[in-house]
Amino acid sequence: MIVVPCPNCGPRNSSDLRNAGELVSRPDPDTASLTEWRSYLYLRENPAGWVTETWYCRTGCRRYFTIERNTATNEIRDSENS
Amino acid sequence: MSELDFVSPVASGALSASGGGIALEDLSDRSKVLVRAGRSTAAGTHLKVTYGHSRRRRDGTLICGSRPDEWTLIADPGQGAELLASLPDEGFVSVVDITHGRAMFRLSGPDSVDALAKVCNIDLADDMTPDGAVFSASVAKVTCDLVRSDVADRRTYLISCERSFGRFLFAAIADACAEFGIDVPEDISMH
Ligand SMILES: [Zn+2]
Repeated sequence: MIVVPCPNCGPRNSSDLRNAGELVSRPDPDTASLTEWRSYLYLRENPAGWVTETWYCRTGCRRYFTIERNTATNEIRDSENS
Repeated sequence: MSELDFVSPVASGALSASGGGIALEDLSDRSKVLVRAGRSTAAGTHLKVTYGHSRRRRDGTLICGSRPDEWTLIADPGQGAELLASLPDEGFVSVVDITHGRAMFRLSGPDSVDALAKVCNIDLADDMTPDGAVFSASVAKVTCDLVRSDVADRRTYLISCERSFGRFLFAAIADACAEFGIDVPEDISMH
């Protein structure tokens, strides 16, 4: 079990939430090249270590928030509303 | 909406243990109104309570801060129109009568906490979810809104879910209550 701290609901079992993946910034659709757009849609760093990711509080407040999680140890620091 | 006859998704009305340790009742016919509004709107100021808390309005309506910038109002049956009319609607505010769309049950008694803990992973201890606490969680895998609303010191939980899950949820909670003395009727038995 991974306990994920929702900034609104407090610590929750990860089964109550949905991992929405690594936080990536969306390029400007008017100026982005096809390569940049493809990279935004499909490519992720997927490190064995610290990653900033978005979670959705599915059964609780139904808000999206970001946390920093170590994918190797599941240690979590910092959580805030996105 | 309130002129429609309410039809509960649950057939069995109330179940209780003979010792009084636990009781499960269908309260689906209670009037329920959902409000979405910014906290700075007139409605937000009127409703007052923040996410996770509840209070009783002078007219007896239970006002629950059910999510950030979202409230659920619960009152006696047939009060939907009055509830809608009781809210200031200036600004960006959405007020919807959800009476017929939600099932609601009352689980009460000293054993209710142990029965609920079997099917809900929220910490139900007094310091985490005291009387008046509002929270959303999975109950028997159904996403529910819960309010701890003790009646004369009797531990009481109001549990509501989408109407279409109501029949299953009532049966699942009754099943969790069986070991505390509730006789589960044949027609909703899960065994
Ligand atoms: Zn949450």
